[in-house]
Amino acid sequence: MTGKKLLLKALKDRGVKYIFGYTGGAIMPVFDEMEKLNDFKFVMSRHEQGAAFMCQGVSRASLSTAQPQIGVCMSTSGPGAMNLVTGVADAHMDSVPIVAITGQVATGVIATDAFQESDVVGVMMPISKQTYMPLHADEIEKTIHEGFYVATTGRGGPIVIDIPKDVQNQQVSEKYQFDPATFRPHLPGYFYSPTPEREPLQRAIELINKSERPVMFCGHGVINSNAGGLLQQFAEKVNVPVAFTLHGLSAMPADHPLSLGMMGMHGTVEANRAILEADLLISFGMRFDDRVTGKLNEYAQNADVIHVEIDPSEIDKNVRTSVAINADVYRTLHVLLDDPMVTFKPRRRWLEKIEGFRNVMAQDLAAEIAKGVGVDNKLLMKSIVHQLSEVTQGRDLIVADVGQHQMMAARFYNYQTNNSWYASGGAGTMGCSLPMAIGVKLARPDERVWSISGDGGFQMNAQELGTIMEHNIDLKIIILNNGYLGMVRQWQTFFFDGCYAGTPMLSPDFKLLAQAYGIPHRKIEKLEDVTPALQEAIDYKGAMVLEFICDPAEVILPMVPSGGGFEDMIVSHPQKKGGKITEEGEAA
Amino acid sequence: MKRRAILAFTLDHPGVLNKVSMLIRKKMYNVDTLTVCRSRIPGVSRMTITLQEDNEPKVTQIIKQLEKFTEVISAKELDTDHSYWREVAIVKLEVDAAHLEDFHGRYNFEVLEQKTEDIHILQVAGSTLRIDAFLDEVGQEHIIEIARTGVTALEK
Repeated sequence: MTGKKLLLKALKDRGVKYIFGYTGGAIMPVFDEMEKLNDFKFVMSRHEQGAAFMCQGVSRASLSTAQPQIGVCMSTSGPGAMNLVTGVADAHMDSVPIVAITGQVATGVIATDAFQESDVVGVMMPISKQTYMPLHADEIEKTIHEGFYVATTGRGGPIVIDIPKDVQNQQVSEKYQFDPATFRPHLPGYFYSPTPEREPLQRAIELINKSERPVMFCGHGVINSNAGGLLQQFAEKVNVPVAFTLHGLSAMPADHPLSLGMMGMHGTVEANRAILEADLLISFGMRFDDRVTGKLNEYAQNADVIHVEIDPSEIDKNVRTSVAINADVYRTLHVLLDDPMVTFKPRRRWLEKIEGFRNVMAQDLAAEIAKGVGVDNKLLMKSIVHQLSEVTQGRDLIVADVGQHQMMAARFYNYQTNNSWYASGGAGTMGCSLPMAIGVKLARPDERVWSISGDGGFQMNAQELGTIMEHNIDLKIIILNNGYLGMVRQWQTFFFDGCYAGTPMLSPDFKLLAQAYGIPHRKIEKLEDVTPALQEAIDYKGAMVLEFICDPAEVILPMVPSGGGFEDMIVSHPQKKGGKITEEGEAA
Repeated sequence: MKRRAILAFTLDHPGVLNKVSMLIRKKMYNVDTLTVCRSRIPGVSRMTITLQEDNEPKVTQIIKQLEKFTEVISAKELDTDHSYWREVAIVKLEVDAAHLEDFHGRYNFEVLEQKTEDIHILQVAGSTLRIDAFLDEVGQEHIIEIARTGVTALEK
């Protein structure tokens, strides 16, 4: 038995179906073995970054299915491994379990600046949950199984396993034995506590029962622990409105009467105003990131905070908690739901007040969406997303890129099904959508998947059209083309006197580009063509690119300026009202 | 700025020191001292890090993030009231033997070697402040070279 055989055996034992990646000198032995085995479906990305996002797509989308899978990507040493870095860092920020396997130069030449040598462990260490470099074939199986265990337990994260080429080819020792069924990793420094303790739970229930103006927060932890249904039941049981982080979206239906929509920088008025006036925040599986809180010393000053979080280092990091529950969200909700002390309260005043917040922008937004076009009759992104939501009844899987269109997709798609929304949140990696959508589609082949990008982000990983072509992946690709890097342009409009530095962008003819990959393309410029085009893409069997020509002046509102507090929330376009808006704060 | 000592028990694996020091750097501290040694348990190292920080929650953050590392078994802060912080200095200095005699009662040092009539190599053990005081009292102008271990600490 050789290292490479054990590597693939371990992946198979772990239920891996897809391997995404790109071969090269230092990983060739593994690829050679993989080809002979025929146990995996290998998907060759056109750039290693694509492979990292594809495996994120698999991990994210499959976690709510009957057979959760962990995405695996594989690359060669040096540049191959370095090209994975962005995708690995992104998975780290968003707590997505993936396993990245990289070939390394042979042990005999490590640290001699050998051809295509990079210090992969050194580079990956601060951006992954754990890194490994097995130095003997005997260690490989154990390393893979331990890696999967670490990636998927507690707060998920990426694992990087760097395997020198000679170790891949090495024979195991004669006495080698390994049984994956009985293997338990020995990790005396690795702890996670999924079960909530009784005492803080009691105090949390007291606070909830006492509270007059509570708001519940739904973070990525709710999606990751598959607790969307429980959260909804709990919210209904205690009659508390729910605000979502970017990654908490789709945990429960977006139009649920208790839903406040997304919170934070581009969150809804109702979510942000409710937080500002709340007396209690009950947060599940989130980390109070700066895009969520704005200025920390002005954040929810009158509120007690109950923080349910699996990662103890997130508790009290940004916001001081009144009650910390270091546990798994699913288990905590399960216990809370069964607790007879938890009571329903009508909270009539509070819910009426929130209705008032809902009305602040509702009319403006509805009118904008109905009008559907902006300057020069160019299309509005929010209207396109709204129509997509209508056509698909909010039941499709949406994979957004990063930027203005992402916020539009987060805000204006009416998510109806659990775990149906994917994007790069913490890292904010442009270009993630197209490859991530490939992974999502492979993990959930029976559902329709839409990749929504801007013209900027799309071109960052446009080469993955090749992967879509080669594997006939039925992906509906939307490019919201406004000729600018829209989100940066919006900041320039608001905070840089409209000086559009480095944001205008000339794009190629996307029709020719799509055609080069044998993918049909439709360019949509008129409002009345939007829904028919979406319908055509739905009816068409196979990938299709829909390019919408959008108004670059469109903005996503409200907006809390970075480093600002919720009081500084911008609810109307400053150029239209002629008003001066708050200065940008210290944060990025 | 308040000097803090953080004690961590870690697995004796390659890369652990790298991880710990990278975290300290990421948090934008300059390490004052860092010492690593074996512990009583085979395969487990003992690491003592000292750095300057006034803000209590920030120190708690570092400790929590240290504990998050798979290889870190436990981490805690040791304060000066409830623990001993000690270091060792090896000092090469040019001084009369008689002059050295003056300090013997007051400072805990050992003469490792007398190289010539005037040149001595000493070993001084004690708290950072105590060693500083000894060096000041001997007179910095007499000192040729110093090697200090950095702080190691133990709870009372």
